[in-house]
Order: sequence, then C-alpha cells, then structure tokens
Amino acid sequence: MRTDVVSAGAVTRSPASDAVVVAGLRKSYGAVAAVREVSFTVADGEIFALLGPNGAGKTTTLEILEGFRRRDAGRVEVLGRDPGERSGGRALREEIGLVLQDIAVEPYLTVRETLARNAGYYPAPRDVDEIIALVGLTAQARRKVRSLSGGQQRRLDLALGMIGNPRLLFLDEPTTGFDPSARREAWEIVRRLRAAGTTVLLTTHYMDEAQALADRVAVISDGQIVAEGPPSTIGGRDHARARIRFALPPGWPPDNLPAGAVAADGLVTVETADPTRVLHRLTGWALERGTVLDRLTVDRPSLEDVYLSLTARDHEESTR
Amino acid sequence: MTTVTVTTPRARRGDLALLWHQVRYEQLSFWRNPQSAIFTFALPVVFITVLGAVVGNGAGGSYFYGLSVLQYFVSTIAAVSVIGSCYGQLATGLAIRRQNGILKRVRATPLPAWAYFLGLLAHCVMVSAVDVALIVGIGRLFGVPWPGDWPAVGVALVLGAASFCALGVAVASVIRNAEAAPAVAQLLLFPLLFLSGSYMPIHSSALNAISGALPIRPFNEALIGAFAQHAGLEWHNLGVLLAWGAAGAVVAIRRFRWNPRPE
Repeated sequence: MRTDVVSAGAVTRSPASDAVVVAGLRKSYGAVAAVREVSFTVADGEIFALLGPNGAGKTTTLEILEGFRRRDAGRVEVLGRDPGERSGGRALREEIGLVLQDIAVEPYLTVRETLARNAGYYPAPRDVDEIIALVGLTAQARRKVRSLSGGQQRRLDLALGMIGNPRLLFLDEPTTGFDPSARREAWEIVRRLRAAGTTVLLTTHYMDEAQALADRVAVISDGQIVAEGPPSTIGGRDHARARIRFALPPGWPPDNLPAGAVAADGLVTVETADPTRVLHRLTGWALERGTVLDRLTVDRPSLEDVYLSLTARDHEESTR
Repeated sequence: MTTVTVTTPRARRGDLALLWHQVRYEQLSFWRNPQSAIFTFALPVVFITVLGAVVGNGAGGSYFYGLSVLQYFVSTIAAVSVIGSCYGQLATGLAIRRQNGILKRVRATPLPAWAYFLGLLAHCVMVSAVDVALIVGIGRLFGVPWPGDWPAVGVALVLGAASFCALGVAVASVIRNAEAAPAVAQLLLFPLLFLSGSYMPIHSSALNAISGALPIRPFNEALIGAFAQHAGLEWHNLGVLLAWGAAGAVVAIRRFRWNPRPE
C-alpha cells in the first residue's frame, strides 16, 4: 500500500545517506490517534532513540517501519524501500535486524540451534559462535532456551536481531527488565555495533539509556515529536538556566537577594542565566559573614527534567 | 558513505536447501517436545499395539466389511495418526505460536511465508509417514497382510496429509485464542472421528451419508480400500478430501495472521 501525502513537504527528499526517513506519518486505531504527525530521519551509521512514555506512539511508529503495521498516511523509507510493500519484504528483511518488545523463542531448541536456524535465513549471516560470545551466552550455548533466565532469553533475542549482519537494527525497548549490569553490557554491545557501521533505531523510556547510547534523540509524546536533537542539547538543555542550590545558611536572606531565589525545606534554589556572576555574589556574601554555603551544587536541567516537562501533557492525561 | 538504494546482491541459498533447513529445525522442535512426541506420535502406535494384543487378527465378519478386525483398525488408526500429525499439530501448534509471538518473529526474518508453510507441510508429512509405517508394521506382527495397493496408499496419504494440514491452518486462523485452540480443535475432531467409523464401523446409511460428505470418512475409506481391498484409486473419496483441503487452504490464506494482536 503506497500512501503519498503531499503535505509531507516538511521533510524534503532524503539524501542517499539516510537509513530511515519518516515524513508526516499518521496512524489511528479506530478513533484513537496513536501517531498524529511524526517526521524524522536517521542517518546512516548513527544511533537514534525514540524516547517517550508508554502509549506515546513509539512502538506503533517502529512497527510501521518494520512492516508489521500499515500506516494511514505519510511517507516511510527504510534503506530506500517502503516497508509497507510486501514485494520487497524479503530483500529488506535480509538487511535489517529486529529485536521486538516481547521475548518469544522456541522453547525446545538450544541457544546454538536457535541462532543456527535463523542464520540459515540470511544470505550473509554472522558466525553463530561469534554472536553467542558477543552477547555473553557461550556458557549457555548448548542449553535449551526454556531453561534460560529472562535476561538470558533477552540476550538471545538481541543475538537473533544481529545474526543476519544487518545494516540497520531496530531495538524496541531492548533493556526493559534488565538489571543494571546487564543493561550496561547491552549498551556496550550496541556501541560495538555502531563502531562496526550498523545504524541503530531504538525506542526506550529510560532517559539514561538515551543519554548513554544515542547520537540523536526524538522525544515523542501523545503521538507527536515534541523535541529532537543530540541528548546534550535537546529541549534547549544547553541554553537553559543554571540552578544553584545550597543549604539555608544562618542570616539568610542577604540584603541584595539575587532575583529568583527560593528558600524551602532548608534549601535555597537560585535559577539564573548568569551563574558566574550570581555565584560570585553569593560566595562573596558568605565569606563576608564568615559563613559557608553547605551542600553547594550548580547544575543544568537533566535530560530527565527536560523529558518530564516535554511530556507533561501525557503525564497529566494518564494521571487524570 | 554507502548509498542506500544500490546494494550488491548477495547469494541466497536455493529454495530447496532453505526448505530442507526449515524442515530439519521443525523436526528438532517436534521430537524435543515431549507433549507433541507422545500425544501426536506415540498414542496411535500404542492404540494399535494394545488392540492387536487384545483381539489378534480374528475375522471381523460382515460388521467389519469382511476384513479382519485388526485390518480394519490398521487402516482407520493410520488415518487417525495422519489427522493428528497434520490437523491436530497445526490447529493447536500455530495458534500457540501466534499467541506467544513466535510467528511474529518468523515474520521478522527474511524466511518467505511459502517456505515456512511448505516446511511445516513437509514436516507433518514426514511425521505421518513414520507413524503410518509403524502402525502397518505392528499390524503385520499380529498377522495383518501388507497393503494390497501401495501406490493407492501413497496417493491417499499424501492427499490426506495435505488436506488435513490445510484444515489445521484454517482452524488456527479462525480460532484467535490460543488457550481455546486445543479444546476447539479436539471438539471438532472427536465426534467426527467416531461418526466416521475410525473407532468402530458405522452401519447407518443416514450417518454415513453425512460423514461421507465430511473429510474423515472419505479418508478412512480411501485408506481401507488401498490397504485391504485392492480397489485401485477411490476417485470419489479422494475428490471429497481434496475439496475439503482446498476449502481449508482458501480460509487459511484469507484469514491467517502472524501478529498476536489485531491491528
């Protein structure tokens, strides 16, 4: 099903180096609009994260790109092909790897057999034992899948996504349910894939995951992309006002109180666009009085703060 | 930067090699799963062994159409084993594979749908063939003569296996709930098995007229004819079986879903 939409002019024809192009994508389930108007591109070789709360439209977007769902409107290109067209499906599947959200593997095959079976579906698969070692399942290679722990099955899933040596890998919430050390190992695997030139498009609702892995992040909320950019600058993080905090000192407040200072719960918070000058005044005041600014910190909004403010609308709706 | 639209075509393995690869792993999963190996494969073998031990190869008289009791049951239980290996295995197995997401995983790989289904068909035919060979062999041990018309046996078995595979996929396509699948599949099957004379000869012309238009009785009669009566090919029965297989295939193709959740 080819859906050409004229209004998708916001994103012009992609250069050949874009692995994924999405322009004006829309999808509804009955009266519920899951994806309202989503546009983004993923460049060849980058790690791109779709970040958003549950139900924001991440998985729907991904499943349209993977060819599992039909779109209502918009233009979608994956490695130069339309994933909605079944005719090119096999050739496209040979070049992409999919790690879906739910774990599902034949229980009675061993880890090695499962990977060897899927390797046989691809024209140029990676070496089975090498992949097993890469995801850290060498000790379990001859065990049946049903006897693996949940985390081990998820790593097998990751291995199945990579066995065909894909140019583009889709990861749908790849580390949900992992313990912290397993997550770090999974991140390391993804970084090694990028180093080898694989493009990765992942969805996650973990801020730290997007921050740790992604070259670029798109925050999706209520079916729309509300911000896009590198994790360090997204949502104006780099221009945002700095936040100075310290324990309420004796003799507070000073006469020339800096604008925007708030004292609450024994803590003073000052938000400012000019942290150097404000800090100088505050520390000068403290030194004059012979007191200290206990527990002094200066920071900018974390990715989490940005994310929470960007997705606030979803939040309100889900808590209502 | 590599260009996206131009890719060097890499060599795919041949279709037959891919099919064989798929059949091998279907076989591996089947024999490793104690439930399928015992219920689908071993049960008919046990049944015919017990029956042989109890009744021997005594004459059945006109009640068994002039065949020996065991000769009759070797034919019908061979049919039951084919129906179990094809219809039973696919009707429940595919519904469960869909429910737990395994089918969606298959769809996530480049394996073409035809290769997946032909692989399943070949796998089911192989399990059926081994089962039928064992049942006939055990019958021989109890004195049942070898089948009278081997080519007719072969035609009836392959056509029956293909038709009951198609019906199994059709039922798996219609039943959307994996928990209900085994129960519904058996509920459709068991009354029909009795009605079609699989567990005892039926001598009611009214019942036989009904069951003769349904798929199991024609399969039984085609096999009884081929095993015992040197009747040549039973065109009428094979035709009814083929019609059911074709109907099953149409439903399967139109209604089959890979995704556990509806769009």
